[in-house]
Amino acid sequence: MFHVSFRYIFGIPPLILVLLPVASFDCDIEGKDGGAYQNVLMVNINDLDSMIDFDSNCLNNEPNFFKKHSCDDNKEASFLYRAARKLKQFLKMNISDDFNLHLSTVSQGTLTLLNCTSKVRVKEKTTSLGEAQPTKNLEENKSLKEQKKQNDLCFLKILLQKIKTCWNKILRGAKEH
Amino acid sequence: MAPLGIALGMVFYLLQAVSGESGYAENGDFDDAEMDDYSFSCYSQLEVDGSQHLLTCAFDDPDVNSTNMEFEICGALLEVECLSFNKLQGMYLIKTKKFLLIGDSKICVKLGRKSVTCKKMNIVKIVKPEAPFDIRVVYRKGANDFVVTFNTSHLQKKYVKELMHEVAYRQEKNENDWMHMNLSSTKLMLLQRKLQPNAMYEIKVRSIPNTNYFEGFWSEWSPSFHFRTPETNGPGEMDPVLLIISILSFFSVALMVVLACVLWEKRIKPIIWPSIPDHKKTLEQLCKKPKKNLNVSFNPESFLDCQIHNVDGIQARDEAEGFLQDPLPPQLEESEKQRLREGMQGPNRPSEHAGISPKTFRGESSFRCLAGNISVCDAPGLPFSRSPDCKEGGKNGPLLYQDLLLGPGTTNSTLPPLFPFQPGTLTLNPAAQGQSILTSLGSSQEEAYVTMSSFYQNQ
Repeated sequence: MFHVSFRYIFGIPPLILVLLPVASFDCDIEGKDGGAYQNVLMVNINDLDSMIDFDSNCLNNEPNFFKKHSCDDNKEASFLYRAARKLKQFLKMNISDDFNLHLSTVSQGTLTLLNCTSKVRVKEKTTSLGEAQPTKNLEENKSLKEQKKQNDLCFLKILLQKIKTCWNKILRGAKEH
Repeated sequence: MAPLGIALGMVFYLLQAVSGESGYAENGDFDDAEMDDYSFSCYSQLEVDGSQHLLTCAFDDPDVNSTNMEFEICGALLEVECLSFNKLQGMYLIKTKKFLLIGDSKICVKLGRKSVTCKKMNIVKIVKPEAPFDIRVVYRKGANDFVVTFNTSHLQKKYVKELMHEVAYRQEKNENDWMHMNLSSTKLMLLQRKLQPNAMYEIKVRSIPNTNYFEGFWSEWSPSFHFRTPETNGPGEMDPVLLIISILSFFSVALMVVLACVLWEKRIKPIIWPSIPDHKKTLEQLCKKPKKNLNVSFNPESFLDCQIHNVDGIQARDEAEGFLQDPLPPQLEESEKQRLREGMQGPNRPSEHAGISPKTFRGESSFRCLAGNISVCDAPGLPFSRSPDCKEGGKNGPLLYQDLLLGPGTTNSTLPPLFPFQPGTLTLNPAAQGQSILTSLGSSQEEAYVTMSSFYQNQ
């Protein structure tokens, strides 16, 4: 019972923090001519896609992130902002230095182009990639880790595609105007 | 105390004035003359070593004292805030993968911890491509041009892929007379006519970023390539093979013209414009002209040696039959045989004497028999039988007779075809009837002649 109380004490508050509403976004998107996106961001996104070498293992179930955030009209900046910050969490996977560089380029490049003001507060827990599992035997942990890695990579792949789609939407809108 | 205080005050004032901020301007603006000496410029080279980028900075004044001077870049970096340059032979460079390539960076010259001078730069706007290499020039004789090709490492890069290249070439003896051409590909055609023949040329190429995002400076020139243009033939000279071919063709044409002129009338014209035969001439050809040595004449004097009698036709027939049945007296028989042997004479002529003089007859008999006249070869009152000579002459007779008939005064009217001439049926007739018979026979002979001649011609 004591364990249960600890779990609820130290597990739920971070979850609540994640679900806290975020302040309104005030971003001034730069590079709407598409130069930075096409010559830098897209190059790195394609490199990441080539590094993530699987398609079929992705789960059909859409992660919760995309259920909550999408590139809707007038919400492109907020989605990109959240997606860019989400990318940073994948640095912990430590796949390779080049992989991390590409991730950083896409993430930081997107944030630089969004040029959001300091009013923006995004309270996201860095551990949202995966919850802490109870201790089990080594074999089960190993398989679970592999499964988690696959899930994370699948999530990353989908996230990158969503980022590309959202950028294309922004650039199309900029051309029409 | 007061003077001491004044003295100290003046000392402090002088110290402040002397050791104070140097470069203090009258207008109060800070204008550090020494900072101008530390002006610098930088250029970047992306993906110069794999995925690593290179940023190179240097002072504009090469004589500046760069001892203890350092360069630092901050901003637009991945995972770090600032990076320090490495000093190498008066230049400051940094080689890293951590350039964000989005946004501006700040590059400062630092003396210790103090920033001497700073500049705001965008790494993607100071790109200096790598120099092209492997420039080659190949002459194409068929196209009369030079193909210039070169290579650049940016073809395999991810960021700066599109470049503008500048090709410069000159004749080696003209040192500063460079010709420039811009192109976006790595292949160029130089026309031979734009270059001097049999001259030595030098060519080189450089590049600059050609995108709307990456900008920068010209690269270094590629290593030069030297080539010599071929000698071209003068305006009056021709390729030897072409010259030989042209001469041969000229002579061939001339020969054909000469042959055409020579053979025009005889060979070519009849084929191209076959002549329609003139029927007059054709008829003349059909009619065999008499031989020149043929003494044919209707002059009665030529028939003086011939005994021509008008023989009654019926009486002649009876007498001929009787003659054939009764044996002839030897003398008459001999003379008759002789006469018969020698054959008949020429055309008819009314004869005043009864016989034919053997002398004249002998002399001209063959000829006269050849003339083919029937009655001439026969004696009056004697049944006439055709002599072999007359027969022979008779064979030729129709022709000759026809010739006699159709020679002078020949008309175009065709002779009516008559019964074919049969030498075995010749008979001797009296003069009047003979003439009529002769004329009828002649007409029949004429007709026969025509027919025979027509057969002859058909053959």
